[in-house]
Amino acid sequence: MEIVVIIIFVIGYLLIALEHPIKVNKAATAIITGVLCWTVYALMDSESIKHIGEQLGHHLSEIAAILFFLMGAMTIVELIDAYHGFRIITDRITTKNAKTLLWVICWVTFFLSAILDNLTTAIVMVSLTRKLVPDKDMRLFFCGMIVIGANAGGAWSPIGDVTTTMLWIGGQISSVNIIKTLLLPSIVCMVIPLIYLQFTLKGNLGHDKQAAETGDYQKTHFRGSNLMFIVGICGLISVPVFKTLTHLPPYLGMLLALGVLWVISELINPEMDESEKKPYTASHALTRIDVPSVLFFLGILLAVSCLQSMEILSHFAAYLDNTIGDNRIIITLIGILSAIVDNVPLVAASMGMYSLEAYHMDHMIWEYLAYCAGTGGSILIIGSAAGVAVMGMEKIDFIWYLKRISLLATLGYFAGAVVYLIIYPYLAVHPPVN
Amino acid sequence: METIIIIVFVIGYFCIALEHPIKINKTASAILTGVLCWTLYALSSPTESLTNSVQFNDFLEQLKLQLGDKFAALGQQELFRSFVVSELSHHLASISEILFFLMGAMTIVELVDAHHGFRYITDRISTKNPKTLLWIICWVTFFLSSVLDNLTTAIVMVSLIRKLIPNKDMRLFFAGMIVIAANAGGAWTPIGDVTTTMLWIGGQISTVSIMKVMFLPSVICMLTPLLFLSFTLKGELGETQEHHVKHEADMVKGGKLMLILGIGALVSVPIFKTLTHLPPYIGMLAGLGILWVVSEMIHPELDDAVKKNYTAAGALSRIDVPSVLFFLGILLAVGALESMLTLHHFAEYLAHTIGDNRIIITLIGLLSAIVDNVPLVAASMGMYSLDVYPMDHLIWEYLAYCAGTGGSILIIGSAAGVAVMGMEKVDFIWYARKISFVAMIGYFAGAACYLLLEPFLGSGVH
Repeated sequence: MEIVVIIIFVIGYLLIALEHPIKVNKAATAIITGVLCWTVYALMDSESIKHIGEQLGHHLSEIAAILFFLMGAMTIVELIDAYHGFRIITDRITTKNAKTLLWVICWVTFFLSAILDNLTTAIVMVSLTRKLVPDKDMRLFFCGMIVIGANAGGAWSPIGDVTTTMLWIGGQISSVNIIKTLLLPSIVCMVIPLIYLQFTLKGNLGHDKQAAETGDYQKTHFRGSNLMFIVGICGLISVPVFKTLTHLPPYLGMLLALGVLWVISELINPEMDESEKKPYTASHALTRIDVPSVLFFLGILLAVSCLQSMEILSHFAAYLDNTIGDNRIIITLIGILSAIVDNVPLVAASMGMYSLEAYHMDHMIWEYLAYCAGTGGSILIIGSAAGVAVMGMEKIDFIWYLKRISLLATLGYFAGAVVYLIIYPYLAVHPPVN
Repeated sequence: METIIIIVFVIGYFCIALEHPIKINKTASAILTGVLCWTLYALSSPTESLTNSVQFNDFLEQLKLQLGDKFAALGQQELFRSFVVSELSHHLASISEILFFLMGAMTIVELVDAHHGFRYITDRISTKNPKTLLWIICWVTFFLSSVLDNLTTAIVMVSLIRKLIPNKDMRLFFAGMIVIAANAGGAWTPIGDVTTTMLWIGGQISTVSIMKVMFLPSVICMLTPLLFLSFTLKGELGETQEHHVKHEADMVKGGKLMLILGIGALVSVPIFKTLTHLPPYIGMLAGLGILWVVSEMIHPELDDAVKKNYTAAGALSRIDVPSVLFFLGILLAVGALESMLTLHHFAEYLAHTIGDNRIIITLIGLLSAIVDNVPLVAASMGMYSLDVYPMDHLIWEYLAYCAGTGGSILIIGSAAGVAVMGMEKVDFIWYARKISFVAMIGYFAGAACYLLLEPFLGSGVH
């Protein structure tokens, strides 16, 4: 019976990877996969149905904690965007030199992505380069670097990336420690490709035909945008603080931030009537968040949790341990794998493979996993949510990215990995025992 | 600390009720209330009665088994904190079951609607008389709800009346009656409603007996408000004719298929639960997944932009996510009160000061209009033991009636009400003014009917 569940999982996974050719939305496939896995599990083992129900309830509570966290974060970002809050950052960039601009864009992406999720960061930054870099060929390089910058920036902060967040919510890593040990590797991961492009990038930014209009656009000040930006960013940053003070799960902190921002957004424009106000309220922001992604995560996490409950994953980990042996090699491979398959199920699977009893909080393997799963996705454009979003927005070709960016991203990935493996004995709270 | 949390809950409740005058969206108030209740609870120190409670000591036993030697090193405050976190995770699991169920059902309904599937039903109902239509809708809701759960029934029926009644003001009355009928219809069958199901699974009531004694009171509970509205309801259904003819021509391909699949998916949820013993939301997600795939397959010739309107991705952008978060907030808040044993203490306090079980249970029914009826019934099941009150005793049957139908008195008193509020933007105050009174008359009429009938039809156990 275990074989049946594994086959369902693998077929579901293939269909998700082949979303575009077979034209079936990956959320639908993920939901059906998750449901089928649990149904088969429940039907084959009807004596222990009570136990299975308990396991499912336990997993659902963990999954829901991630999903409500994501929904809160996505809504806060949409709400700031509705008030054009991100223009506080984008309005300040005025340089006309391509290389200087590339450095500026990359660093802004890196730090923005540490606070916001990678997807949002990539969307905000790509819409910005559209205004700043009119030349299409040049812009593609900027977009490629935004993908690398966004993924690298997300890896080192507990709120910057879904996978790091999962590890943080699951108690595998702690916020101060992950920032301390992963900041340098993440920087290296982005700077190596950046230095390479510094020497090889040719061409200029091109002329903006609509320069005059843009000038006007930048002057118009939007009421409340500064306030919403500051409250929103403070809300996002305060989530780890909330967790430390109350020991309650992070999604509650995120909901608190959302609630506060929501109330402010309703009070900020008292003179507008209902219909004018509508685009600037959280209810409207909620209609623009990506609910299919939320359901995709629900489905895929349900499927993985079923494999976990059946102890298939821990058997697989034991198998890997026996054949490969070194955890570091296994996790490096997981990172490279995450360029092909989604990193959320990979990390969820790894969390199920290794138990917290054997590998305690802030153990090397968790931190290294956060790095690898977070940055490995840059190697292919379909390997990360940020990459897929950029591909959709700028029509980057899969092959173009493979030729021009993949090699750089791979170099950065390995450079960062080496840096982490060198420095962690000095920085980690739990230095290796051997 | 318990007092402060109750005060936060009450203030939050007022903000939700006064959503329109204070111009703050009820979802924001609900989320803040829920988060604040749990935050205060986590920061407080444990009370005497909590540390002596069964729940707390059970939790300690389990923790001791898990941690082994490390257990002794934990202080009282740390134990309490991990108790709160485990309680929260327990509540989150049951809340998410409801929310994902709700999201699945809403998406299925939107998806059928996008294909104009409901037109196959609404085209058959040709009456133009609002009163006749109201009677039809109420009876259909009543019997549908006795088979399906109240939430699904309410969602299906409201999406039907959207098509049948273009006039917004008139539709609100129909939506109010759907809430009453869905709750009344759920009370008399063991599978129609969460609370009745709880009592049935717990062995407090038996199938045949509950249907025999409860059918008439439930009918009365719906019929009284219906009769009242029959005499007072004024206005027209509104004009649909011209739209009707137009749409007839460009019927969307696959509408019939989507309707059959959609209704089939909703109806098969209880069957799925019986077969697999998995929670209902899994069945709902299975239905959604199948419908989603079908919706992508039946329009191969359309390009992506046009197709988007007919796929689940498009339907998901139209479902009411704020209502889902509202539900999350309010259920979290009630969960905190339940976890602190506040509800339990309140029920016990009532039992001591009042004495007569019938009055207490009537009050519990009224209370279920304010707080969730699931924890209330759970608390009552804990208050009275099966040794003293055997199966099919008056108090269990009466509890099933009161907890099932009392929630209709306020719109946020039942899951069906909250769903209808989300779908039709029914205002809390509007409902309190126009429907609450008739719902309450129905509630008391049904209760009186039960108490009169019980000596004749009941099992005679007292």
